[in-house]
Amino acid sequence: MPAQTSNAPIAVNFAGVSVTLGGVLILDQVNAAVPQGSCTAIVGPNGSGKTTLLLALLGQLPFSGVIRIGNGGSNTARPRIGYVPQRLPFDRAIPMTVMEFMVMGQQRTPLWFTKKRRHTERAQELLVTVHVEGAAHRQLGALSGGEMQRVLLALALQQDPDLLILDEPAAGVDFHGEQIFCELLDTLRSRHGFTQLIVSHDLATVTHHSTHVICLNHTVIAAGPPRQVLTNETLTATFGLHMGLVASHAMPEAGPACTASCCAPEARHD
Amino acid sequence: MTDHHAASVLITSLLPFQCLEAPFMQQALIGLLLLAPMAAAMGVQVVTFRMAFFADAISHSAFAGVALGLIFSINPHWSMLIFGLLVGLIIMMVQRHTTLSSDTVIGVFFSGVIAFGLAVVSRDRNAARDLQRFLYGDILTIGDDTIAALLILFAVIMLFQAWGYNRMLYIGFNPLLAQVHKVRVAVYQYLFAALLSLVVIFAVWAVGVLLVTALLIVPAATARNMARSAGSMFWWSLAVSLSSAVAGLIISAQEWANTATGATVILVASGWFCLSLMINCRRSGCLS
Repeated sequence: MPAQTSNAPIAVNFAGVSVTLGGVLILDQVNAAVPQGSCTAIVGPNGSGKTTLLLALLGQLPFSGVIRIGNGGSNTARPRIGYVPQRLPFDRAIPMTVMEFMVMGQQRTPLWFTKKRRHTERAQELLVTVHVEGAAHRQLGALSGGEMQRVLLALALQQDPDLLILDEPAAGVDFHGEQIFCELLDTLRSRHGFTQLIVSHDLATVTHHSTHVICLNHTVIAAGPPRQVLTNETLTATFGLHMGLVASHAMPEAGPACTASCCAPEARHD
Repeated sequence: MTDHHAASVLITSLLPFQCLEAPFMQQALIGLLLLAPMAAAMGVQVVTFRMAFFADAISHSAFAGVALGLIFSINPHWSMLIFGLLVGLIIMMVQRHTTLSSDTVIGVFFSGVIAFGLAVVSRDRNAARDLQRFLYGDILTIGDDTIAALLILFAVIMLFQAWGYNRMLYIGFNPLLAQVHKVRVAVYQYLFAALLSLVVIFAVWAVGVLLVTALLIVPAATARNMARSAGSMFWWSLAVSLSSAVAGLIISAQEWANTATGATVILVASGWFCLSLMINCRRSGCLS
């Protein structure tokens, strides 16, 4: 796990990124960096451009400026991205087992012919990793919101990602489920060493699990470690109203309370 | 000639029905046996992608295709194929590059191609007779050249289903997720639109504009009710379409029925669908 000092390698760099949709300027000259190995949270109110920034990063929207994924160093291989979408709208009536869902992106041989053993074994391993090992033969449409989220995480992990992107991971899951999900992500991040990028408007999740925060409201208001960034002044500027709920004394003294090694005090930004 | 004889012997020994002894019935059976599985396999994705309306627009473009054939004095079969293919690809392109909802985009094209067809036909009374042929379809007059074309298309469609079935499911589930996880969404979408357009136009010749969508949708919808996995959905769809095609053709030729073949095939498939609804309902306990 690389230490996140001020000159730590950068996993994603946004330089002067602007997006205009339907004549409206959604993002205005966004400049921000996501440190490699960090859990970076993009926070902001609804309509602040969080999801737009994510879609630009995923190459789904035209933008001006530069988005560089990877440190741009000697490693020229294209970084692998895992993506966990928010409350994925899908047809729950489709007859598909969780195992088929996991295997469909991995094997070329059609599912109507066979499922290859090496792919099913790998999929089962991943389902165990995300604690839904019993779901392999269940119908996808019968999963609860929390189970579906973990299956989607397993699908993203199947990419063996350098960068794991999660859109609103707290949405649609109860507080306990969210806590477990975040702890699972912390553990996985420390084990696999990927960079985690979360888009969230849930400040409780951000304060407890992120190591780096980007406050966004059409442009970057502030960026850095949560304790430095999530001040009343920044939050008021970002969300447009006083956010007494996340006064800095509410955050753990030594930094975010995640279990990953990248959250350790020596690994944080100066 | 030898091939024809061998096929004829095979058909009469496997399906010993008097009505299948006539050569035109055997041609029709071969045509349906090629067309039905193609439509059923593509239908799985049409249902998954909710593209029934897309198929409808392509089938109705047949009118304009025939009209174009009349204008340029070319065989209406060819003009229908080329025009249907173009409309399919253009709809997919507009869908991918606009923020309008897909049913709005298809609706615009749907109306446009019908209006164009009707405008041309209204100038020429002879053309109206030509159009009627495609409204109801006529599998019984299928020729050797059409069967040869169907054989080639059959091979291409089955190759596509073997190569892209899993990826198409991924895209059907969520295109953005598929794209981020390295599926070439655009390639598959255009390829699917092109192949679907070709299947739809061939199906127009067989069952007519009005029943094309049924040939695509009904077997796949029945398969959804019956199947418990994405793999078995494919086989269920094939089984329903093939059994409906054979039964429909035989029933339509019986004296007591004497019905249009295309319509009878769809009626049998609809019977399967009703049965599958009941089975599904029983499984999920909605009848208790």
